Amino acid sequence: MKIEKISVRDIPRRRFLELSMKGGLLIAATPALLARLTSCQRGSGRSSLPDMDKEMLSKVIAKALEKGGDFADVYIENRISRQIVMEESKFKSGLYGISQGAGVRVISGNKTGYAYTDEITGEKMMRAAEVASYVAQNSAATAPVSISETTRPSFVTVLQPLGEIADEKRIEIIRRADQAALDYDPRIKMAMIDYYDEIRSRIIANSEGIYLKDELPLLFFIVQAMSDDGKARHMARERLSNHSGFEMFENVAPETIARNAAREAIAMLDAEDAPAGIMDVVMQNGWGGVLVHEAVGHPLEADNIAKGIGAFTGKMGQKVASECFTMVDDGTLPNFRGTINFDDEGTPAQRNVLIEKGVLKGFMTDILSAKQLDMARTGNGRRESFRYIPIPRMTNTYIEKGKDDPADILASTPKGIYVQSLSGGSVNPVTGVFNFTCRESYLIENGKKTKPVKGATLIGSCMDVISNIDAVGNDLAFGPGICGKGQSAEVTAGQPTVRIRGINVGGSRA
Amino acid sequence: MKNIDLTEKLVRKCMSLGADAAEVFLETNRSLSVNVLKSEIETIEEASSQGVGFRVFVDGKMGFSHCNDLSSRSLEDTISRAIAFARLSTPDENNVLTYDKGFTAVADLFDPGITAEPMEKKIKMAIDLENLAMRDPRITKSAGAGYGEGESGIFIGNSNGILKTYKSSGCSIGVSVVAEKGDQKNTGGEYCTRVFFNDLKPLEEIAAVASKKAVQLLDPVMIRTQKAVIIFDPDVARALLGGIIAGINGERVLQGASFLKDQMNKQFASELLTITDDGTRGKSRGSAPFDGEGVPTARNVLVENGVLKSFIYNEKAAKRAGVRSTGNASRRGFSSLPGIGTHNVYVSKGEHTRNEIIAATKKGLLLLEVTGYGIDPVSGNFSGGAGGLWVENGEIVHPVKGITIAGRAFDILNGIDMVGNDLDMTRTNAAPTFRVAEMQIGGK
Repeated sequence: MKIEKISVRDIPRRRFLELSMKGGLLIAATPALLARLTSCQRGSGRSSLPDMDKEMLSKVIAKALEKGGDFADVYIENRISRQIVMEESKFKSGLYGISQGAGVRVISGNKTGYAYTDEITGEKMMRAAEVASYVAQNSAATAPVSISETTRPSFVTVLQPLGEIADEKRIEIIRRADQAALDYDPRIKMAMIDYYDEIRSRIIANSEGIYLKDELPLLFFIVQAMSDDGKARHMARERLSNHSGFEMFENVAPETIARNAAREAIAMLDAEDAPAGIMDVVMQNGWGGVLVHEAVGHPLEADNIAKGIGAFTGKMGQKVASECFTMVDDGTLPNFRGTINFDDEGTPAQRNVLIEKGVLKGFMTDILSAKQLDMARTGNGRRESFRYIPIPRMTNTYIEKGKDDPADILASTPKGIYVQSLSGGSVNPVTGVFNFTCRESYLIENGKKTKPVKGATLIGSCMDVISNIDAVGNDLAFGPGICGKGQSAEVTAGQPTVRIRGINVGGSRA
Repeated sequence: MKNIDLTEKLVRKCMSLGADAAEVFLETNRSLSVNVLKSEIETIEEASSQGVGFRVFVDGKMGFSHCNDLSSRSLEDTISRAIAFARLSTPDENNVLTYDKGFTAVADLFDPGITAEPMEKKIKMAIDLENLAMRDPRITKSAGAGYGEGESGIFIGNSNGILKTYKSSGCSIGVSVVAEKGDQKNTGGEYCTRVFFNDLKPLEEIAAVASKKAVQLLDPVMIRTQKAVIIFDPDVARALLGGIIAGINGERVLQGASFLKDQMNKQFASELLTITDDGTRGKSRGSAPFDGEGVPTARNVLVENGVLKSFIYNEKAAKRAGVRSTGNASRRGFSSLPGIGTHNVYVSKGEHTRNEIIAATKKGLLLLEVTGYGIDPVSGNFSGGAGGLWVENGEIVHPVKGITIAGRAFDILNGIDMVGNDLDMTRTNAAPTFRVAEMQIGGK
């Protein structure tokens, strides 16, 4: 379980939040308008899936349950993606991809059978249904409910549909970012810019009778800037990502992303060796939330709980963290990268409080783990594509804001490490042991942020870290990332500035 | 139409739609995976899939597109997208395709027998493996066992007249278990991957390693922050190898984004360190007759007695550097452009037994687990979380967990002072046990 090297910080983050708030108001005010805006089909005739013959899908579901089983679903997907990469001020590549297919799943008791096909035809889906039904042999049969059109609220607004954007406009965004990074300082030797967008169309039908269809647009913009002053080198990174239209770049300019990456690259040229050993850590607001995403979020996904091996098994309702710690997963934050409207099993996304004032309140479930644990479905059953079965995954996960002034948190920490951005990390969800790599961090001396230090690894265990958080700021912010758990998912992680007492820092000097 | 004929036809299609040069990469896959938990099937997943990627050049500018819908309308539309994308790109004189019609003879990359084995047998193997790994009374829970297999066919054609194909297969079986003692919890896992079904290790052997890994770090003792010897187990050698491989990536070197960029033909590491990449070894998942753009694979010495001997290249980076491709174009399937990567990398074995290395260590850590990203290939810094067994006066005295280790790559690689003779060449990233004279440990 890994999070790729990712970061988002500083100015864009604030804009990001303002933007989201506006989106939230819009939804409350004009749901009808929104339903029209979210459609990104205009001008891109083949960007979405045609409606499927419901009778045919019903036959596929019936076939899947022919040998027995409790539940079956069909997931049909079409993804159109564009990726443009610039390195050393040259376009390294432009990629255009179409990926489509259908998967059929059967759940029988604790067993799951799954098969998929690249060809979305009745014949191929019937074949997939037959393969998937293998696991249900000799079990009691369930009669499927006939499927009918189902609707869910949308939390994604689109003003400039990606399908209507000329490639020249994408290229201009990249050039602007490249120029801004190089103009920042002569010691910036190179920028690497990765632009990605996709439109994912899904159709979900299942034996409980739902038929759902929607489209999610996604933009992901990454700027890396490399500094070299002849003595040291540093590769810095900044990211921006939303489920939205191309207006994302009007709200946050590509130059802003590039300058932030360049700023980090220059600041870290002077980095000294980090100290080693156990010390206090202050984490700046934003993508640092990836620490709780890994350290606490993954262990709260219900699959390992259902297996009886997860770190939080048997701890529901118990105090597991300090009083100032509240953690939430919310798949409905307007236009956020982790927002999903409904999960890939058709369950509506919702706000799930996982830990409230230190007490364990909830796990994140998919259909299977909810059934196994006799819990409600939380809308966390996600999958990378039709090639994967859905599993419990996070969406937008964050530490709820607290009361402390971030400046006071720093000032009241005499000695330690101030972590401004993390590259990413991983956790063992059974033991709860995690690790993170800092990308931009500083020494704390006498309550002040002083010299930059080289990227050190932070390690600890999830139970210790959430008990040892003793200050939570009032400055909640988010950053986008890619979460890996055998398959990848787009997420955001967020936190206010927090202080964690006693983390082991992997520095290279005593 | 046969896939090889389709590949050739698609190259012509790219040219007729306006490309000056074109490459078609077509891939077919079949896969099966079975997961079991507590002797019951948890998941069975089965699929066949295919897809094709088009790399086209127009006036020296490159475009790429891919799709998994092989209907002729969709293929033509996808090719047109690549050509339109190319027109918007920047010209690069290094945009070249291979002319090399060679084909390295590599034995035994495909086992037709995998499919022939019945599904029931594969399920039973996973269940048996889980039960065997649970036999140790200190193992309290299973985190599951699994069996997986895959077959793939690769077809590459380009407008220089290249048309090549090969088939490969693989299968693997593995298990993960949990050992608990009081409040302590430890996981241990082991798997085995082979080209041939009958070459999979005996289940007892895999199970024993998984249980040993879960129990060996129970009752750890926290150590002080200090500098000490670090003995790298073969399982964790990847933490260093990964950074070296990324550091000799020819493209990153040209960009100045590598800590090894100025080290060619220089002694940058201990003379005990020799590293080779071999894409030609038979019965290996890392081998192939040609690389991701059709260049024949080779056996390349990368580091010899601590001296950097070769960077690794694909066609584009090689052209820019003024050298020949080393056959290291890597591809993550039909939907990706050729990058740069290794085949089977190994560190040559030394003369000591593992026990001799431990016995020669006055105070240090036998490193069994590392977390984090390993060596940062740009800055050459290393930092990670660590666990293992503490060694004093030549003997293992207690387990250690929750510590960190760190250092500069050059210091670590120059500090290698003993290399073991226990090299297991069945891994695609292989190293024997080796010892580093001193690294910083972070503890209490």
